[in-house]
Amino acid sequence: MSCSPFDLRDYVLKELSDSERKQVEVHIKGCQGCSEEWERLRLTEAALFSLREEEIPQRIAFVSDKIFEPSPWRRGWAAFWGSTARLGFASAAMLSVALVVFAVVRPAAPTPGPLASSANVKAVSVSAAEIQQQIQTAVERAVAASETRQQQKFELAVAEIRQQDLKERQQLARYADAALEMSTRRNLVVERSSYGFPRADKGGLQ
Amino acid sequence: MIFRAVEDTDLIRQAARGAVEAFNLLVSRWEKRVYNYLLRITGNREDALDLTQDVFLKAYQNLRKLDDPGRFAPWLYRIAHNEAYSMFRKRRPESDVAELEPEGTDTGITVGGSSVFPLELSLAVAGALNQLSPEQREAVVLKIYQGFKFEEMAEILSCPVSTVKSRLYAAFELLKIELAPIKARGVS
Repeated sequence: MSCSPFDLRDYVLKELSDSERKQVEVHIKGCQGCSEEWERLRLTEAALFSLREEEIPQRIAFVSDKIFEPSPWRRGWAAFWGSTARLGFASAAMLSVALVVFAVVRPAAPTPGPLASSANVKAVSVSAAEIQQQIQTAVERAVAASETRQQQKFELAVAEIRQQDLKERQQLARYADAALEMSTRRNLVVERSSYGFPRADKGGLQ
Repeated sequence: MIFRAVEDTDLIRQAARGAVEAFNLLVSRWEKRVYNYLLRITGNREDALDLTQDVFLKAYQNLRKLDDPGRFAPWLYRIAHNEAYSMFRKRRPESDVAELEPEGTDTGITVGGSSVFPLELSLAVAGALNQLSPEQREAVVLKIYQGFKFEEMAEILSCPVSTVKSRLYAAFELLKIELAPIKARGVS
């Protein structure tokens, strides 16, 4: 066990400051045990240094080497997607292709063929009956709704016509009353003028 | 060394702004160190090479996330550490990380490759390193061969400094028993 002020291994491994190293060196000179321990550590380190570094078998590829360059295909791909116009063209082309593919692979209407099994035929017929029933129900509902709407429109129109007719009748009545009054007044004027009464435009008749 | 660090910092800033050549220069400077780190913790040259390639690719992709260019080294080794352990998990997903052992460690990784250091000592060092746990071995590699400080090692390994010290001290106790006598006999 070392009695050095600092760990002799740290001294050998060069982890001590200059002042600490000097303290250790002074101690070693006066301590037989620590001197022997330091010698063993020094020999160990020297032995380890006998292993030399190997040369690297081949140069490490630089990032600028051609091996790290993207392939022509990748460069073309990057250039293509880097263009907005080309991107738009590609989108339109993809949409066209999708439409064509959909048109080609779209499933045909179910038509039971002669080789269809009875179960399939039954299933298809049941499905057709249900569909027919649903269609009939939907049509009836639509017709009823349409009739209701037409009836409401008709009633509104009738009410409006009646209202208009009433207004016209009232108007005619007012016209008739006015004409009757005018006629009455005219007769009265004629009658009075025939008896020597002053004319109405002279201020005699109010 | 300081000038070099400043240069790396400038290169990192330039690379983060998209300067590929600056990053290429960083790769040239660090590829050998990263490769050797991965080689010592995987024990397999092909794996180390593939992982090194992946590490620099990931580093380039994530360089803008590096807030402090001065922390480039631990950040880079953190990526390397994660890549290596990710590979270990893929190969043996049912194993606990602590139980993961690199492949090809029986023969060592540098034995016979040195003309500077004696073969016997190289064999002894390789053998001693192979006796360590993967975590202890990685700690030794980061400290001895890569020269990181305890704090940097903690950042790379994503663990407390105390854990780093514990692993390293334990490793040194084992290595000391194996290697110090050999070295003392004057093999080198």
